[in-house]
Amino acid sequence: MTAVTSMTREQKKELGRIKRRSWLISYAMILPAIVFLIAFVIYPTISMFIMSLYFGNAMNPYKRFQWFKNYSVRPDFWVALRNTAEYTGMALVLVMVLSILFAQWMYKSRKLNNVAQTVFFTPHLVAGVSAGFIWSWLMSSQPYGLFNTVFNALGLSSVRWLDDSSTAMFSIVLMNTWKSVGYYCLIIMSAMKSIPTEIYESARLDGSSSIKTFFKITIPMISPQLFFLLITITTGSFKVFDSVRIMTGGGPGDATRVLSMYIYDYAFERNNTLGYACAAGILMMLMMVAVTVFDFGFVEKKVHYQ
Amino acid sequence: MAEIVFEKVGKSFGSTKVIENLDLTIEDGKFTVLVGSSGCGKTTLLRMIAGIGPATSGRILMDGKDITHQPPEKRDIAMVFQNYAIYPTMSVRENIEFGLKNKKVPKEERDRRIAEYAEIVGMTPYLDRKPSDLSGGQRQRIALARAMVKKPSVFLMDEPLSNLDAKLRAAMRVELIELQRRLGTTFVYVTHDQIEAMSMADTIVLMEKGQIQQIGSPEEIYHEPANIFSAQFIGTPPMNVLDLDGGVRFGVRPESIRMSAERMDGMALYRRGHVITREMLGAELQYKVRLSDGKTLMVRSENDRDDVEESADVWVMAPARHLHFFDADGRHIGHGGPEDLLKKVGGINE
Repeated sequence: MTAVTSMTREQKKELGRIKRRSWLISYAMILPAIVFLIAFVIYPTISMFIMSLYFGNAMNPYKRFQWFKNYSVRPDFWVALRNTAEYTGMALVLVMVLSILFAQWMYKSRKLNNVAQTVFFTPHLVAGVSAGFIWSWLMSSQPYGLFNTVFNALGLSSVRWLDDSSTAMFSIVLMNTWKSVGYYCLIIMSAMKSIPTEIYESARLDGSSSIKTFFKITIPMISPQLFFLLITITTGSFKVFDSVRIMTGGGPGDATRVLSMYIYDYAFERNNTLGYACAAGILMMLMMVAVTVFDFGFVEKKVHYQ
Repeated sequence: MAEIVFEKVGKSFGSTKVIENLDLTIEDGKFTVLVGSSGCGKTTLLRMIAGIGPATSGRILMDGKDITHQPPEKRDIAMVFQNYAIYPTMSVRENIEFGLKNKKVPKEERDRRIAEYAEIVGMTPYLDRKPSDLSGGQRQRIALARAMVKKPSVFLMDEPLSNLDAKLRAAMRVELIELQRRLGTTFVYVTHDQIEAMSMADTIVLMEKGQIQQIGSPEEIYHEPANIFSAQFIGTPPMNVLDLDGGVRFGVRPESIRMSAERMDGMALYRRGHVITREMLGAELQYKVRLSDGKTLMVRSENDRDDVEESADVWVMAPARHLHFFDADGRHIGHGGPEDLLKKVGGINE
């Protein structure tokens, strides 16, 4: 005790020097991350907001300042928003349910499961654009469309996958589910593997049926990972773009025009509407923030952390 | 109430045979402890009774009824696991209630029983807490309440005290004994700890390499060990075993040995020894002694009996009734005799 209180001025100076040095080192270490964050997230967001207040195009964004005029949204914004919500809802349910089911099926170590895991995971490694192309061929209504060829061979009638406004959105969801389910499945599976076997044995001794064990024990115990999936799938689906652009281009009609397609159109395909695109981008960002805040505020209460 | 009988039971994992041709009867209403070192098959036996690791051959009977292939929930048993296997997402109440709900016990009956058993294990104030807020000892109590509330005919416990600290372990040991006396239920308890086995068991089943070495009361196991394994497993430090001629060996427990500078009369074993170490353990002293032929012995003595100094040269002696004789296969021949063997022990006659 006395050693600390009776520190000499020299010692105090030395201590201050050490403190300053470690302070400098720690900031130097996070500097790259901060620079990237400012350059690629904060600065673009601010400049997007400023652009959203102007009338202009990509060549000359700041033609005329017009306050919040761009924020009085057009009817087609609501269409895009509804499409996005539809896509997100379908993707969320489908990916969550399938990841859980596949994980439940594959988490036991069997030889078949190692193969199955690889098969499920591989699509995740395919580039989104390539996957979009492959699936638009598979789903094509032309004679080379594999799905319809198989359907016809089985005596089923053809489906107009991407060419029908009632099936187009679901077809895109299907493709993206195929692409991402292996990845999410892996996350769920590792969570399931971390549940001690004794808990399952105990549940068996307690006379719990396998359905009940699944809902009362497995699901609550993997809830942190399910919550992670909820957040990542929701925000990811909200931003869906490449597959829509490749597979339908927003059509047929406006059936698959999601928010990011809407933003892309107004930003680069039309003249002098960059402000609208930026305003929509800001609104989309605010909605994603709202959804995430809601998730953390309400849904997370149901999550069980160890 | 239930008696459990193993008939020619075997268990293999893949090509590894863990247990072969095992016969065992676990008596109704008794506290039976399966004890042995890790990998001896004791937990495997317990899991067979529970039905979560079925036997690969032979039969298991519970009150005469074949339960070999019966699913666990159909058996009238409850089990406490080493890591408690508490459901971490459920409150204490839900944990205790889970088995009853599955058995479709009516709500009032469930509440009554939960209140009763929560009181017995002293967890009433914690019923609405989550297990993660509780200590190891409290989780242990939840596991106990969860087992008891089902009112099973057989309690299975797999090293339930090994995750507790020494003080709590000693306290829980006493509580478990009391509990068994009060419920009068068959308890089957697995442990690697000989002290737990000795202090709690009505009957000890001592196992090694998938085989039963000895079945008996703690007194029988201590005083009449069936073989060298049994003699050396129970007791700290283990029994000293020395060679006689013709493969015959004899053993003497550290606590039966007397040491003194003077030669005492009326002993059967006499050796000269040199004290290598002396450990003061409180009520007792523990010595390591080297005999003139180079062999070392462990000696334990109350500290008001034979207190000798380190590096002292002493007489090492033991009376005849404390000498155990084993044949070439390690089987117990007898203690305190036979006469011809006893004579060979004698040692230095001066």
